[in-house]
Amino acid sequence: MSSGKSFAVLGLFDTPDALMGAIPQVGAKKLGALEAYTPYPLHGIDDALERRRSPLGGMVLVMGILGAITAFGFEYWISAIDYPIVTGGKAPSSWEAFVPIMFEVTVLFATFTAGLGMLLLLNKLPFFGHPVLSSDAIKAITRDRFALAIESEGEGFDAEAAKAALLAAGATQIEVLPEPDRGPFLTSDYILRVAGGIFAACVVAGLAMYGAVKLFPVLPPMSHMEDQPRLNAQKADPFFKDGFGMRMPVAGTVARGYLPLGVASQDEAASLVNPLPSSPQVLAAGKKIFHNRCELCHGALGNGVPTLTAAYGAKPANLQAQQFRDYPDGKIFWAITMGKNAMPSHAADLTETQRWEVVHYVRALQRAQNATDEDVKEAGTR
Amino acid sequence: MSSDAAIRTGAIPERLLEPPLTEGVVTPGSLDDQVLAFPDRRPPKQWYIGLAITLTALVIGFGFIGYTIATGIGVWGNNSPVFWAFDIINFVFWVGIGHAGTLISAILFLFRKRWRNAIARFAEAMTIFAVMCAGIFPLIHVGRPWLAFWLFPYPNQRGVWTNFRSPLLWDVFAVSTYFSVSLMFWFLGLVPDIASMRDRTTSKVRKTIYTVLSLGWRGAASHWQHYEKAYLLLAGLATGLVLSVHSVVSFDFATSVVPGWHMTIFPPYFVAGAIFAGFSMVVIVLVVVRETMQLKNLITIRHLDVMNKVILGMSCLMGYSYIMEGFTAWYSMNEYLHHTFMNIISGTYGWAGWLTISCNIFIPQLLWFKKCRTSYFWMIFVALAVTVGMWFERFVIIVISLHQDYLPSAWRIYKPTMVDFGVLLGSFGLFFTLVLLFARVLPVIATTEVKAILPGAQPSHHGDDHE
Repeated sequence: MSSGKSFAVLGLFDTPDALMGAIPQVGAKKLGALEAYTPYPLHGIDDALERRRSPLGGMVLVMGILGAITAFGFEYWISAIDYPIVTGGKAPSSWEAFVPIMFEVTVLFATFTAGLGMLLLLNKLPFFGHPVLSSDAIKAITRDRFALAIESEGEGFDAEAAKAALLAAGATQIEVLPEPDRGPFLTSDYILRVAGGIFAACVVAGLAMYGAVKLFPVLPPMSHMEDQPRLNAQKADPFFKDGFGMRMPVAGTVARGYLPLGVASQDEAASLVNPLPSSPQVLAAGKKIFHNRCELCHGALGNGVPTLTAAYGAKPANLQAQQFRDYPDGKIFWAITMGKNAMPSHAADLTETQRWEVVHYVRALQRAQNATDEDVKEAGTR
Repeated sequence: MSSDAAIRTGAIPERLLEPPLTEGVVTPGSLDDQVLAFPDRRPPKQWYIGLAITLTALVIGFGFIGYTIATGIGVWGNNSPVFWAFDIINFVFWVGIGHAGTLISAILFLFRKRWRNAIARFAEAMTIFAVMCAGIFPLIHVGRPWLAFWLFPYPNQRGVWTNFRSPLLWDVFAVSTYFSVSLMFWFLGLVPDIASMRDRTTSKVRKTIYTVLSLGWRGAASHWQHYEKAYLLLAGLATGLVLSVHSVVSFDFATSVVPGWHMTIFPPYFVAGAIFAGFSMVVIVLVVVRETMQLKNLITIRHLDVMNKVILGMSCLMGYSYIMEGFTAWYSMNEYLHHTFMNIISGTYGWAGWLTISCNIFIPQLLWFKKCRTSYFWMIFVALAVTVGMWFERFVIIVISLHQDYLPSAWRIYKPTMVDFGVLLGSFGLFFTLVLLFARVLPVIATTEVKAILPGAQPSHHGDDHE
């Protein structure tokens, strides 16, 4: 027998009937709390040991209802209040679709209450330090024998009297058990505390996440997509004093590729120099543009005899005239850019480079129509 | 007068007597020696051969799953308009397999069908493994399984919530609840059995493991009192759950507008089909377990007979459902529904339709004969036919309905790829690997429950079914 205080005396019985017969006999002597240890549940033993009804049914009912309310509240709050989205043409607050999940959560809450509530709360399991577990009788108890224990209820436990009572009731084997060992840390209390801590941490983290997303503008969430701070072009906006959403460019703003020429009249333009070389590529590009845009009025040869003359009131310039042959490049460029007499400006249609290409081509036309012997010689030497 | 006493005095006519639940002499001690000794013994050669086969299937299947995840679900045959195919077929198939376990452990418990005690443990284990197999498919079908936690409503930095009107979300809740509840039910049943194993094993390692798993169970009467209450409550909860889970799965289809899916018969039809397929799988596994583990005296031929009767009953329910589908197609005068039904019996996939009807309705009719219900050959033949038939039933429902719906320009023939078959093989590998491992390390029969129903197990002045 163990040296410390004895906690309980255990007697083994061979049949359920022997156990059931011993319970009232031993109980009448009031030596301590009675507990039976059996390999499987025995019918009627709860009454014999005068146990109260298990409160588990009530616990499960309460938690099941709580599960239903939790699920419904959660679903309703999300679907109708916090994140209302119309699905399938149903009103955000229509509750019928919430029922399946309500049912599942009810069952989930009830199940965990029934299972874990039974183990952790009512039976205080796991507990590895109980003396029955380390007794000699446990092998028989979990196999096919039935044990009755008289357990100490505080001071004044008489182990010898308990032994005698059990033997008198027909126990085939007697064992005195020591105090429970409170050493093993893995107990129901420990698990409940850890699980409670984890649950609390989850709730705090969830609420913190929700609060962070909803309340702090440093984390603009996707739910605020409709809130886009910007000014709309051509719309009134109170942001600026003048009430316009659109801003005018700063004075002197120059668009890309549209640098001003720096000259104010055709005479001044005479100083401009064609930046392009008179290469076959440039002439080909100039020819194409002349063909598309100039030929209709000035004629294919630039001599002012086009197909359109009859239908056209004004008289287009004959570019082969001496006046224009004497023009510097810049003055032709100016005429294309600014327009002249009935001719409109081509600045909007042709880039500066394209205009200079046309200038090259006009020069080529003039030279071709007024070719000299030197030109022929030069061509012959190629 | 209690029934036990009546049996002893011979007051009950012979024909009304319930046949014995076990054969030969079984005592609590012999039961333990028979059932709980497996983990301490070296398993037979067949076990290793079986494990080698199932592990091979598992490795191949998980290779294909890895390939799917690494490449994307384009490696499957799914394409417009058949966006659901093997993945959802297999999901529904495996969830259905699980239903037998819950039915046996919960509904038959509530009905006080004591023959269930011998087979409940194995059936419950099969439930858990089947739901694990089922869970794989939606998980990999989402395409990016590492983001699967988005399925759950939790406060997130994206500021979005899940859609509680989607049956797919109901599915997430239903299947995860089903798994949790099944696991809880199974574990609670195991605790006293593991305690028995803890106290009989001689290996130190096993003793440590069983000690932790049994939570220090010591069989105290005060514990049994709460335990029995919890078990009863869980059985009641699981009963409602088992009817709801496959109903919710059927909502995935029934709440849509696809012809062939949009029908009110779907929830009961799916639940009946699930029990049907699940019982067949249980029969196949139990026959193997009974033979290889020498449990003939505990899982008697009567158990198999009763199970086959359930299969027969469910087969008739399925037949009713199929006829109802045809009737609805005709009576509704809905040309789309009519077209879908004609596709089942005469379209490109007509062979699948007739395979389903033959395997699920015609072949199980053999079970009307007691000879077939008690013969290994015929019961395995029927059970395999039902397993194949129920897989093809989901194929028929999903693929035939989808491949030709309202818009003829979108019609397309679906063809599965090798990867589809590989993943299916892997799920079978996972299931049977887990079954084999379970049979190796845990008690395959709920010894505590069987002990409680052995003759003379209960005090004689209290009948064992006085409640």
